[in-house]
Amino acid sequence: MKIVIADDEDLARSVLREYLEKEPGIEIAAECTNGFEAVKAVAEHKPDVIFLDVQMPKLDGFEVLELIDRQVAVVFVTAFDQYAMRAFDAAAVDYLLKPFGENRFRAALEKIRHRTDEIRPPELSTELKNAVRPAGEYLERIVVKDGARVHVIAAGKLDYAEAQDDYVALRSEGKTWLKQQTIASLETALHPKRFVRVHRGYLVNIERITRIEPNTKDTWIAVLVDGTQVPVSRGGYGRFNSLIGQ
Amino acid sequence: MHPVVHSWKAALLYLAVWVPLGAILGLLISVAGSLTALETAAIIVPVTVILAFVCLSPWYVCRALPLRSTGAGRLVGQHLLAAMVVSAVVVFVARIVADSLSDVRPGLDKRFAAANPVLAAMVAMIYLLSIAMHYVVIEAQTSRRSELLAREAQLRALKAQVNPHFLFNSLNSISALTASDPMRAREMCIQLADFLRTSLRLGERASITFSEEMELTRMYLNVEQVRFGRRLQLALDVEPACDVCEVPALLIQPLVENAVKHGIALLDQGGEILMLGRLVKEGLRFTIENPYDPLAPASRSGIGLANVRQRLEARYGNAARLEVEASEDVYRVTLLVPVRALPVRPS
Repeated sequence: MKIVIADDEDLARSVLREYLEKEPGIEIAAECTNGFEAVKAVAEHKPDVIFLDVQMPKLDGFEVLELIDRQVAVVFVTAFDQYAMRAFDAAAVDYLLKPFGENRFRAALEKIRHRTDEIRPPELSTELKNAVRPAGEYLERIVVKDGARVHVIAAGKLDYAEAQDDYVALRSEGKTWLKQQTIASLETALHPKRFVRVHRGYLVNIERITRIEPNTKDTWIAVLVDGTQVPVSRGGYGRFNSLIGQ
Repeated sequence: MHPVVHSWKAALLYLAVWVPLGAILGLLISVAGSLTALETAAIIVPVTVILAFVCLSPWYVCRALPLRSTGAGRLVGQHLLAAMVVSAVVVFVARIVADSLSDVRPGLDKRFAAANPVLAAMVAMIYLLSIAMHYVVIEAQTSRRSELLAREAQLRALKAQVNPHFLFNSLNSISALTASDPMRAREMCIQLADFLRTSLRLGERASITFSEEMELTRMYLNVEQVRFGRRLQLALDVEPACDVCEVPALLIQPLVENAVKHGIALLDQGGEILMLGRLVKEGLRFTIENPYDPLAPASRSGIGLANVRQRLEARYGNAARLEVEASEDVYRVTLLVPVRALPVRPS
């Protein structure tokens, strides 16, 4: 079994290494100290399992989860409290609470050995992130994969998002990025006062809207700062108006 | 509502005070106007009752004219004017009573007129005294309330003190060291215990010296040093004069914890935390600077800073300051606390 370890603390990695070395048939393919490295290592080594810390430089564990192959088994290793971990229980990932004993570690490894090939739903990361996020705080950035590289879009620089089948197309600074995520889950993660769902398929940064023009009887068109036209449904028009207080 | 009418006991006590006051007033006017006991009583009983009610009114006036923020001229002018009006009204009422009784008691109005100046002066004096009493009561209430606020803030600070995330991560480091380096594991256990014990001990006190707070901070950093190794560098520059200054307990350590958690921990290569302590004209200025990654994943949570700000406000009002500056890659928090230096103990 091929393993990748991602944790920025030397000592935290050494506990995992110590436990793993006692297990038969284990190969530690890479040890990473930040989120970028973790994404790269998973693409490079195609491991079976990644042990993933949540708070790391560059990318946090949830962002790494979004960007890696959805077939890789993920075990979060974190000092988050029990309460926040309820969401993890519900999801198809295992987690180890620091500090953890060898028995608990072996149980996690057993679980992975006996799991049938499962593919994580793309919304999982958003759900986990929402669960540990303090009330009133929202996503400040979105991470996307650009070939082998990771690109970070600040929430304020996102013009709008458009639903495209299983993906969302994110428009920012004149470029378009594709990400496997539903527009609904993106909407729940972003600040509800800064982004408005003007249409079933469109989520728009409210600061980018210059005006809204009537189109047909029940539809409108939002014209953005750069001239892009985005369709606005009746419900979306209502949401926009209640947001700007009209 | 006036505090006197909050309970029956307080109201009765207040009325009881007016019995001797009324008696003194009666004695004075009976002598000044050669009145009989019955005549005095007929005049002074209604006067005392009216005065007892009028002397509750400064409660509202005093709160509208707080001692601290009202100019002395305005304060004296307003209250003297009020005292004169009250005195004139009371004397006027007393004269009406005396006039109406002069049919059955011939010459009462003339005799009472001789006692008017005494009555007017006494009423004005009693009214002014009641104003002074009200200021004392209001002052006591305010200081009790701000004490309560300060204590609440203290409790909140204590609850937030030992961050479970820090504790569990430290225990994880100890767990790692037990296999590879048992001596260091033991050392770290002791350092963690030192920090916990000291923060519990200092947390019981409202004020500690700056050097005690810095000692606690050092214990905290000792533990973090094991976790982060070379990623955590420190530079400390504190003027020796700061050491004896009194500061609220556990105010600075959370700032240092923030610098580690949101700065160093999210930087691949770590960096240096710089702490400066200076005595300046306004008090003690403490600055903490740390490098940070402006693109870091977790947003900086302002809860720790908000807590510090609240505690400063509850204790010092506007006299303390907390400033936050974030440049491209350096985060700087500056704390200014007014100083009342401790007396130097003879050694």
